[in-house]
Amino acid sequence: MLEATDVSKVYETRGVETVALQGVTLSIGGGEFTALAGPSGSGKTTLLNMFGALDVPTRGMIRLEGQDLGALSAAELAHLRLLKLGFIFQAYNLIPVLSARENVEFVMELQGVPGAERRQRAMAMLGEVGLADMAEKRPLEMSGGQQQRVAVARAIVSNPRVVLADEPTANLDSKTAEKLLDLMQEMNQRHQVTFLFSTHDPMVIEKSRRTVRLRDGRVVDDELAAA
Amino acid sequence: MASGAEPGAMTKGFLGSFLEALVRSVTWRMAWRNVGRNPRRTLIVGSAIAIGLGSTIVAMAVNYGMIFEMVASAIRTEVGHVQIHGQGFDAKPSIDIRIEPGQGVGPGLVEDLPEVVAWAPRVRDEGLVSSPRASVGVRLVAIDPDREAKVSVIEESITQGQFLGDEPRQVLIGERLADRLQVGVDDKVVFSVQDVTGDLTGEAYRIAGLFRTPSRGLDEGALFLPIAEAQRLLGIGEAISEFVIISNDDRQLEALAARLEERLGADFEVRTWEELRPMLVSMVKIFDQMGWIMYAAIFVAMAFGIANVLLMSLYERIREIGIVLSLGMPPARLVASLLVESLVLTLVGVAFGLALGLLGVWAVSDGIDLSAWADGLDAYGMSPVIVPVVRSSDLTQPVAIAVLTAILASLWPAVRAVRIRPAEAVRHV
Repeated sequence: MLEATDVSKVYETRGVETVALQGVTLSIGGGEFTALAGPSGSGKTTLLNMFGALDVPTRGMIRLEGQDLGALSAAELAHLRLLKLGFIFQAYNLIPVLSARENVEFVMELQGVPGAERRQRAMAMLGEVGLADMAEKRPLEMSGGQQQRVAVARAIVSNPRVVLADEPTANLDSKTAEKLLDLMQEMNQRHQVTFLFSTHDPMVIEKSRRTVRLRDGRVVDDELAAA
Repeated sequence: MASGAEPGAMTKGFLGSFLEALVRSVTWRMAWRNVGRNPRRTLIVGSAIAIGLGSTIVAMAVNYGMIFEMVASAIRTEVGHVQIHGQGFDAKPSIDIRIEPGQGVGPGLVEDLPEVVAWAPRVRDEGLVSSPRASVGVRLVAIDPDREAKVSVIEESITQGQFLGDEPRQVLIGERLADRLQVGVDDKVVFSVQDVTGDLTGEAYRIAGLFRTPSRGLDEGALFLPIAEAQRLLGIGEAISEFVIISNDDRQLEALAARLEERLGADFEVRTWEELRPMLVSMVKIFDQMGWIMYAAIFVAMAFGIANVLLMSLYERIREIGIVLSLGMPPARLVASLLVESLVLTLVGVAFGLALGLLGVWAVSDGIDLSAWADGLDAYGMSPVIVPVVRSSDLTQPVAIAVLTAILASLWPAVRAVRIRPAEAVRHV
């Protein structure tokens, strides 16, 4: 599904080079529920951005379903993100001027899904994440946990191949974080969508089926959880 | 779950995505809500647009009211819509160039033209009017009183005495001329003029009435005499020097003049008021240009205000923009959404500006009394009371320019927005 082959990323700021990734080779299969773990600065967000077609490697190749992302233009990458990828960010994920339902509909609207189908799918998905009664609430009227659940609903509803989540529980208390993880696991199993997320939260790592550990831009460990 | 769009689908071009976004209701809904996110800022910019536009509408209405009054006053007091003279009269107005009976200039010329609602013959010359105390050179305007009352406001402008009647030995003069001559109604004046043979001739006339028009030139330097008396005095038989026409369609005057010219041939000059008073036409153009300068000044300031609001709002929402770009929103849609936001902000201001402008025009719809400066104004043939006139173009033009301004004002923020890198923007604090 997702492949990184000898990927390196070097950022240059005012003549100073910072190496974020060094020769990472990694393959993520379909339907996986995988955590990219590591301390701050280990390169997990950089790698996630590469897989998410938000950034390009300095060296190496990123492939999604066999397609080399380096060969695509910015517009093609945007189109690919729209159709194949779902995103959940750390916080403030939602568009504040849209209601929960409108946020869930947003990506489908960009995809050109007709209005009636969009609304029906959004409501069904909000029902799945337990927020049907919050459909017309704006993000500011919801708790952080509820907002993240809406973000999960938005990421899933457009039928992506992969959902990429950048520290999705970072701003949540442990109880809410666990519920969100359970929800993501449920979605992963029910919809057979690949989940790849970055985290340094031990509880998240514990719940993932595969953990890829990074340190100083390199993969230092890759372990499967016991079934 | 129903399936989404297929990944193999072609990406739309920039223009395609842009146009598609413009017609999507979600774009307008988001723009409307984004504009309402910072009500104070929106209020300040919206008010600036509304006040700028409203004051422009009032200023243009007053300006045009002034011009409209000048033109209408010129047409009503003396010029009419179309005048016919003998060839060469324009260059050298005198009784040497006359229209003789039988040359085809008369009721028969215009009777089959439905747009012609009134006509009158005149004799024009120059002479000297004297009272026991002063003598003043004047323009002679000899009229058929019944017909003249239909083409000009001279009868309505009588302030003392009465209009010309059946009695031939009577004249009308302006109040200002009466002051200079130190005469009043029923006093006698002597009018002297060269007759058609070049001999000096003159008669004593009783002043039937005094008039006051918005035209200082007419009030200070014209003498109205019954046409038959003038023809007798000048010895020109039944000849006239001028045939003035009033039409009910002032937008088709050139066509009317062309038809008359075609009927009369090269021996005559047929002129519309625009040809007879080119200065008025120039003034209309100057006022129009002043209007554009006003628009430009107001809307350039407006453009900076809008661009500033959009840039501030863009900076505040940089993370949000990062998210929508990450989700796959094409840059063209982002540009479209900023443009729509600019349009919404502008159109809200425009709506209030139109209301404010029309309210302002309504407030002065009875006219602005400039009597205190009337001495200066009547030199330009302007009435001391200016009634504002709103043309449809004074409403449509600023709206069109406002929309254009909104588009231009959104360009800079749009360029900034499409340069935003989503991976960095989503981490923006």
